[in-house]
Amino acid sequence: MKQEQWETLVAVIRGETLRPLPTGFIIDCPWLPNWAGHAILDYFTDDRAYLADNLKAIDAFPSTIFLPGFWSEYGMCTEPSAFGAVPVWEENEFPFAKKVIRAPADVERLEKPNPRKEGLLPFVIKRLQHLEPEIEKAGHKIRFAVARGPLNIASFLMGTTEFLTAIKTDPERMRQLLAIVTDFLVDWIAFQRECFPSIDGVLLLDDIVGFVSKRDFETFGLPYLKRAFDTDVTIKFFHNDAPCKVCAPFLPEIGVNFLNFGVQHTLNEMKDWTGGKVALLGNVPPRDVLADGSPEDVRRCVTDLLSAVEDRSRLILSCGGGMPPGAPTRNIETFIATASELTR
Amino acid sequence: MYDFAKFREAVLTGDAAAAVSLTRQALDGGVEPVDLISQGISPAMNEVGRLFEEGEYFVPELLISARATKAVFEILRPLLAKKGVQSAGRIVLGTVQGDLHDIGKNLVAAMLEGGGFEVTDLGINVAPERFIAAARDTQAQIIGLSALLTTTMPAMKTAIDAFREAGIRGRVKVMIGGAPITRSYAESIGADGYGENAAVSVDLARQLIGA
Repeated sequence: MKQEQWETLVAVIRGETLRPLPTGFIIDCPWLPNWAGHAILDYFTDDRAYLADNLKAIDAFPSTIFLPGFWSEYGMCTEPSAFGAVPVWEENEFPFAKKVIRAPADVERLEKPNPRKEGLLPFVIKRLQHLEPEIEKAGHKIRFAVARGPLNIASFLMGTTEFLTAIKTDPERMRQLLAIVTDFLVDWIAFQRECFPSIDGVLLLDDIVGFVSKRDFETFGLPYLKRAFDTDVTIKFFHNDAPCKVCAPFLPEIGVNFLNFGVQHTLNEMKDWTGGKVALLGNVPPRDVLADGSPEDVRRCVTDLLSAVEDRSRLILSCGGGMPPGAPTRNIETFIATASELTR
Repeated sequence: MYDFAKFREAVLTGDAAAAVSLTRQALDGGVEPVDLISQGISPAMNEVGRLFEEGEYFVPELLISARATKAVFEILRPLLAKKGVQSAGRIVLGTVQGDLHDIGKNLVAAMLEGGGFEVTDLGINVAPERFIAAARDTQAQIIGLSALLTTTMPAMKTAIDAFREAGIRGRVKVMIGGAPITRSYAESIGADGYGENAAVSVDLARQLIGA
């Protein structure tokens, strides 16, 4: 991310209404490598492909902000791998992690991993360190520490069905699991910050919080997210593209000041539920419109989105979730151009 | 007189141990298995669906109710078979090839079982040939396809095309669902029905087979 883009983000988060309104998109696998012409496995294993694909996207859409910039990821396998989950790779599929917890009682044997040495984490860090001179030469800095959130990691370790069942049938062990995962997350975020002093933001991705009630969120989400985000950075960025109504009112208390959410809710609803305290990144339908719609559909949708939103402060226009697989260049260009034209 | 309300409450609150114990009590007391379904499980799961639709129940509540239902059906299934009781319909269900997520599919399976359907759950990462073989073996009237990922959605179309090529499309209805699926996507790939969530699956299945 370039310095001026970072400054734009910070200005929006502080409440400035910019003209034109900025646009931004979370980009990662699988959209990025496939858009750039690489197989997913090559993107993950070839540093040159990783760098080239990111730079290609940045060059193709220079007026938008790609979030969180260059970031450390091996898909959903990143953090689970440190707990011993076997990552499974297909040539052009998103990698996945095999479960390591067969029953809630297995939590008793779970140890907090060391992010400096275990799983794929040293590889994630080293790849970015190897590429950092070229990233900086291109005018960018690594700005965000990134991780899956505590419930998301727990659900990868156990299986989502099993985890969400166990919060009802074995709540004590699930609290124990989340405590271990969160301790690890705190270390992992601190390690990323130590390796890249330019980091001044944290992004956590956790859509499992969208599946639980308020009461369960207060028990199994709130305390752990609060701890994971409890670090001294300027931007605390949360992604949850599952339902967000339950967690939204708690986001300011958690410290979150920037949110990417799904298409279940409107921008006005999210502003209301977060008390206007959280900058929003959203929320054109990613699949039906940005990926599968025509440029005219995209134009219409961006126009409708803007005309419906009453307060344009703390807003970066985007899609509701990450960039969807297959989103074509023409649609992204139309999105950016329409947003710029209508908010100049 | 058997206390169906207590039994329904056990299913509704996901208390599997109580639901099993109350099932045994009911059977020992001469209650017919089919009455336990029609006066116990079905209304309880309908209520679970209603509470989910109204935002009072969330996925964990659905999961534990489904778990209680499953435990009861393990007791009832052999008894129903012995008495030759017909199910509401036969459904083969699975997550499509390449997709390893099972939560939505598990919820739908539980809701359908609660609704009196005979469900053959093929699990995750199911190739079209396995759906076809299972539909033939069980004489299923419906095949249910689930996907959680945008990257695996196209496998639904591949499966439906394979059903057509295998010559079974004329006698099975296809219903699909999953987080990234929309009604327009379902129509575009030639599915017969789309369920926005697990709670609507029973009504959808009944509509599809005219039950």
